[in-house]
Amino acid sequence: MERQLEELRKQFSQDLEKIHTPEELEPLRIQYLGRKGRLTAVLRQMGTLSADERPRMGALSNQLKAFMEQALDDRVAAMTSEQAAAGIDVTLPGRVLRRGTIHVINQVMGEIEDIFRHLGFQIASGPEVEDDYHNFEALNMPENHPARDMQDTFYFSKGILLRTHTSPVQIRVMETQGLPVRIIAPGKVYRCDFDITHSPMFHQVEGLWVEEGITFAHLKGVLYEFAHRCFGPEIPLRFRASFFPFTEPSAEVDMGCIICKGKGCRVCGNTGWLEILGCGMVDPEVYRFVGIDPEKVTGFAFGMGVERIAMIKYGIDDIRLFYDSDLRFLSQFASKGMP
Amino acid sequence: MKISYSWIREFVDLDVDARTAASALTMSGTEVEEVAHQTVQKEVICARIVEAGRHPDADKLYVCMVDTGRETLQVVCGAPNTRAGMMSAFAPVGCDLGPGMLVKKAKIRGVESFGVLLSERELGLTDDHTGIMELDADTRPGEVLSDALGLEDWVLDVNVTPNRGDCLSVIGVARELAALFGKRLKTPEFSITEDPEAIESVLSVEIVDTRGCPRYAARFLADVKIGKSPFAMRRRLFQSGVRAISNVVDITNYVMLEYGQPLHAFDSTLIAGSGIVVRKAREGETFVTLDSVQRTLRSDDLLICDREKAVALAGVMGGENSEVLPTTTSVVLESAFFDPAGIQKTSKGLGLSTEASYRFERGIDPTTQVDAANRAAHFMALHADARVYRGVIDANHLSLEKRSVRLRVSYLEKVLGIDGIKDEDVQRIFSGLGCDVNALGDGWAIGVPAFRHDLAREIDLVEEFIRVYGMDKVTPDLPVFKPQDGIPEEGGLKELRVALAAMGITEVVTYSFIAPRWRDFFPGDALELLNPISDEMKIMRPSLIPGLMGAIERNRKLQTRDISLFEIGKSFHPRAGSRLPEEVRLLGAAITGQRFDAHWAEKGRTVDFYDIKGIAETLLPAIELKPSSHPHLKAGCQADVILGGRVIGAMGSIHPDILALVDIGDEVFALEMHLEPILTGQWAGLKETPKFPSTWRDLSLVVDDHVCYADIVRDIASKGVRELRQVTAVDVYMGDKLPAGKKGITIRITYQSEERTLEDAMISAWQERIIASLKDDLGITLRQ
Repeated sequence: MERQLEELRKQFSQDLEKIHTPEELEPLRIQYLGRKGRLTAVLRQMGTLSADERPRMGALSNQLKAFMEQALDDRVAAMTSEQAAAGIDVTLPGRVLRRGTIHVINQVMGEIEDIFRHLGFQIASGPEVEDDYHNFEALNMPENHPARDMQDTFYFSKGILLRTHTSPVQIRVMETQGLPVRIIAPGKVYRCDFDITHSPMFHQVEGLWVEEGITFAHLKGVLYEFAHRCFGPEIPLRFRASFFPFTEPSAEVDMGCIICKGKGCRVCGNTGWLEILGCGMVDPEVYRFVGIDPEKVTGFAFGMGVERIAMIKYGIDDIRLFYDSDLRFLSQFASKGMP
Repeated sequence: MKISYSWIREFVDLDVDARTAASALTMSGTEVEEVAHQTVQKEVICARIVEAGRHPDADKLYVCMVDTGRETLQVVCGAPNTRAGMMSAFAPVGCDLGPGMLVKKAKIRGVESFGVLLSERELGLTDDHTGIMELDADTRPGEVLSDALGLEDWVLDVNVTPNRGDCLSVIGVARELAALFGKRLKTPEFSITEDPEAIESVLSVEIVDTRGCPRYAARFLADVKIGKSPFAMRRRLFQSGVRAISNVVDITNYVMLEYGQPLHAFDSTLIAGSGIVVRKAREGETFVTLDSVQRTLRSDDLLICDREKAVALAGVMGGENSEVLPTTTSVVLESAFFDPAGIQKTSKGLGLSTEASYRFERGIDPTTQVDAANRAAHFMALHADARVYRGVIDANHLSLEKRSVRLRVSYLEKVLGIDGIKDEDVQRIFSGLGCDVNALGDGWAIGVPAFRHDLAREIDLVEEFIRVYGMDKVTPDLPVFKPQDGIPEEGGLKELRVALAAMGITEVVTYSFIAPRWRDFFPGDALELLNPISDEMKIMRPSLIPGLMGAIERNRKLQTRDISLFEIGKSFHPRAGSRLPEEVRLLGAAITGQRFDAHWAEKGRTVDFYDIKGIAETLLPAIELKPSSHPHLKAGCQADVILGGRVIGAMGSIHPDILALVDIGDEVFALEMHLEPILTGQWAGLKETPKFPSTWRDLSLVVDDHVCYADIVRDIASKGVRELRQVTAVDVYMGDKLPAGKKGITIRITYQSEERTLEDAMISAWQERIIASLKDDLGITLRQ
């Protein structure tokens, strides 16, 4: 009889395996556990057993019964949850909210602002329609100065123009604010030039730090810090002497090309370097215009084109894309989780 | 400015290659934009035309026998200067002269040709294609052409900054390199054999305007034979992008490139009265320049005249009436110093910039006039057989004082942030640049040469020092800083952008200038550019709406229909009594198409007024709207945005005339409001969290069409129920189930007490009061 019980357990397990729908479960239950079921049939032989064997067999058959009931229940539960899951098509699209994106130029500008804020700079602003005095004269570019030819200016009338750079904010801040001055001035600037690398409107971030004891070495330190935070800590910089009327000494700053890692490629014109900004020590002449004693303080200024930084960062090769309002372009700049 | 490296090396012995030299120039502030290697293929050789006979079947072709040093080959050539005995450049079969120019054995009109004879242009040496290249008789057949003529060279494209007029010459660049590499600058060595006849016998010079022209030097050259200048000279001019014209003109250009001193040659027979007079033009005086353009002058333009008429526009361009032509036999050579500002004014005023004006504007060396004239006279004797009259007329009103600028070591270190600057470095750098250096107690006295107009102040010397010393030698250092007061920090812009993007709206940045036709929809003065990029970008925008419409138009053309955009930027408005316009910071938004992206479980709907209003209310919940009448918005579907009693913007459906203008077929809703109220919104402070639950009741009202929702809310609020917390509309019905002139509005009123849980009876009493007053005040009944 013990062998029969064992055989029954085996067969039950095999039969249960073959079952795939809840409908088949009940017949199986009846077949094994019903009043005329196979377990009952085996138990009927109990009477043939000796009195001392009977308790052990009784226990064994109860164990088997419990096992079968549990197995059947488990199977029902499993099948019910399978069925529930199959009830809806979880692969249909959810109700996703449409997400906009912040313009890539403003994203990059925000990033630049954040970096300089960490370095203790404040944000300043000024008008986009400027006068000749703030845009040129006070920046040591008197009328007929050849340096004015470097910037094609939009005019409204004699002396009123669209600012060609954010540098007039330097003057406006120094005119009104006491020392020390430590600002950046982000904003739109305008030059009449329009092609694949020039837009008549673009964005600059101007920086100015005027305080006792500020040196060219500090200028380098701040710009290294900026470049490393903006483009990565390994990025090399080089300071190339240059000329701006409102700084002296002046330099243009090149960054190791991030495309070819300095080996030379199409983007960097095979030089391995990308020009990212202009800078220098504030020319004493500029201090004279705003009534600061150049013997007392020194300072540095820098200015960078935001489009240029964005183009380098994202590998954009046509500046006009920024102002084309093409959603297929703009919507690509939403990668950081948040819009 | 393009100049050849071989030319530079005439004046400084450099043992570095062109690229190294270029890189040093770039790092020190004279940017070299390109270094172009130039050479001629080694296969191209010198060859002698032994015989040149007429082609049997072609009038213009010659059949030549060419001695290549190794063999004699038959070559067909069409150049008019082909002749027996001449030496020329020859490319044998198999020589690759560049794309599409592989030399092959050819049969030309039945005659076989084994190679080609080449013109200078075909070799990329000059732009001369009048015939095949003519080589000196001392070249040998079979010699590699580039070796025989020393053709391998590099052309540096030098970008000289506006302050460095002294670098606009070969000698100027050579001087920089001499300083950078610690070499000595060599001055040109030449001599002139002068005629006994003195220049004063044939020419006089009178300067009327000594301010505009402080110095005028002249040479006189007779018996000039106009012809082609030698190849080496023409090649250098070609490398510098200057067209070769004739020996005399080429020499003036060559010396200008070499010395940086613009020169001009007049045909002396066309100078009336043998006298040069330098004077200001009369207002409105006309003059025909070399380019055959008649120019109308102003009274501050400077003219070079003879005793009768103007012959040159000083410092800018010569006159057609005194031009050196092939018939010219004697020449007056001008080498002058003109006031930089004056030349710039003239050049700018006439829109005429030349190699000469460019140099004068930036300030040439005031001491080099006679040297340059002599150099040119030397070349004219050499290359144009000129007889050089004795002496130079040098009308010189310049008083050049030797300038000395003090440079303190403390100042140098204070500006640069480096310590331990060595005396020997300062000595080396400044003497290399042509300065006298004298050590003083606390620094140096630097004697500045006349050609360095840009070195006048101590700071100029600091720059000079560091650019040669090397900016890379300064160790970066982060300054220590304290937090500062000053500009109040403006936050919120970034948060605003994030909020708008989260609402599904994408930011665009559009141009601040727009087309004048938008004025029809935005009355008021607009700022107009004098020199716009195009008529479409002529006026400064009075609103962000035109830009947003343009952006929608653009995306609809790209087959997008559901568009939500915003822009943050300024509008510009002229204002009386102020030179600068008012600049208003604005937020603009425009939406069109479906409110939500298509979804399988949602019925889509197009955007409407309440979507755009919702955007505004999400940002500023406290705004009120009042019907408005802006020309850019559709009548009856627009409103002013009011905050604290002040109009801060407007919103509505874009006027159909605008939609037609920008070819938009769907309705567009737009919002424009001032940015400041959004950014400066203040937190009202913490309120106590309610202790008791709130309760709400709905009322279905039948309302006259002319009664608006705000009237209902205001009426309910005016009844003084302290426990009233909120009124909101949960349904609006307009249809035929109501009498004509009526609409149905279901409102939800929420009550809450700070003292207790509200009981039904109390609420019912308030409701009755409200129902009664709505009836009395606004004629509102309950819907049955």
